[in-house]
Amino acid sequence: MKTKTIKMLIVAIAIIAIPLSSLVTGCVSAKVAAKSGSQLWSENCRRCHNTPPANTFSGEQWETVGLHMQSRALLTDLERDKIVNFLKGE
Amino acid sequence: MKKVITFFGLALGIVLFPAGAKIFAQSNTDSTLYKLQQEVNSLKSGENHFMVAGLTTFGFVSSSIKTNGKLQNPARTNSFDGDNFEFSPMMLWRHGKKLLLEFEPSFDGNQIGVNWACASYFVTNGLIIRAGYFVLPFGMYNKRLAAGWIDKVATDPIGVADLPPASDWGVEVEGGLQLGSMKASYDVALTTGYQIVHDGAQDGALQNPNGSGLTDNNNNKMVTGRVSLLPIANSSLEIGFSGQYGNVGDTNDSLYKNATSMAYAVDLTYLADLGPLLLNIKGQYNVINVSKQAFPSTDSTSAGKTYTFSNTTTSYFGQVSLRPVAIHNKILRNFELAFRYTDFMTPKGSLWEQNTTQTSIGLDYWLSWRSILKLTYETVNTNNFKLGKAGDVTKANYIYLQYSVQF
Repeated sequence: MKTKTIKMLIVAIAIIAIPLSSLVTGCVSAKVAAKSGSQLWSENCRRCHNTPPANTFSGEQWETVGLHMQSRALLTDLERDKIVNFLKGE
Repeated sequence: MKKVITFFGLALGIVLFPAGAKIFAQSNTDSTLYKLQQEVNSLKSGENHFMVAGLTTFGFVSSSIKTNGKLQNPARTNSFDGDNFEFSPMMLWRHGKKLLLEFEPSFDGNQIGVNWACASYFVTNGLIIRAGYFVLPFGMYNKRLAAGWIDKVATDPIGVADLPPASDWGVEVEGGLQLGSMKASYDVALTTGYQIVHDGAQDGALQNPNGSGLTDNNNNKMVTGRVSLLPIANSSLEIGFSGQYGNVGDTNDSLYKNATSMAYAVDLTYLADLGPLLLNIKGQYNVINVSKQAFPSTDSTSAGKTYTFSNTTTSYFGQVSLRPVAIHNKILRNFELAFRYTDFMTPKGSLWEQNTTQTSIGLDYWLSWRSILKLTYETVNTNNFKLGKAGDVTKANYIYLQYSVQF
């Protein structure tokens, strides 16, 4: 009984929260090409972890980390380049 | 005559001294320039770049376990948490902008294993080719969320993180695609595949062939794939569908050589800014079907007979976390509250049948974007069965204090 209640609670939270928060945040229609590096950094990194500050790595390190993360998050080349350039301060 | 010689000497000195001084100054400038050039060259990016990143997770656990209603002795044990300890330096070696070698050895307190050792070639936009030993694209937990500094609670979801086995040897193609304001991704791997176990205790379970999977057990290869869709323009929602198929029997094993495994997974990630709060929802549902096989009976009264069962394993987890990322108080905004529920059911009628539920509640404090202090309370309830008959019932509760950092 307790287990079923918890299961139902999780499902209910997910069902209610997803459409509700979509309404709250709004669905901004923007193509990747039109987005800035900082916007892509904010949208993509946080799907799995906190967003890293630019001073975490050097420019060369960001190039390497960019390839590693592209293959984890399956970013397009354009997204990767924009995010890496933003973090390199370019 | 003496005067003439002295005069000539003086004249020569006057003429040569500035020239000598100029030559000396020039060579000094050349030497300084050369040194500067050397320094600049050493700072310039070459074709190769090597760096070490990685993570470590360690902590403390207090546990209390009841079996069939009887409390263990002592009632509560307190120790450093060996089960969730990890020290994993990750080496990234980039050649130009197209080739990346990744190697992550990992010490878990008992042995040194390898999480991945592979080479990736970034062919073109939307196409990455990988070869070596890598995490399979089945669901999203193993590939994206398993790291201690990413996971919001101190443990992995039972039956999701380790079933089916997470890594394998082979080749993989993957990429991200843009579909207007939506995005999609694909990830397909062709690997050695799994091996069906028939050891009398875990009959019908799957493992990497011969433990590691480096030596193949048959000529067939396993196909694993995941496609995902991010339908909202800000990429806050991702829904993934995974499938996996392969022959799991040994070539020379007349009884099980035709055994196959078919698995599916659905995963979901959703993030939303609710005022000052960041809502983070994650979930994954796995089903593994292994074709029905007859195994020799392990019961002495049924010697020579066989038993069989419907070999289906299911597992899922759902997780919700909330963090007040947009409030002014610097201390409060580093807290995060997380809740996760996991259910794991192994095949009914098997020798390893069990139904486990895992409920985890965590209060986390982010010391930086990549270092986390977790306080997790967890209950794990397991009903064990053997060939369909009820066995031990265990109820355990754990309190974890864990620190994890990525570097």
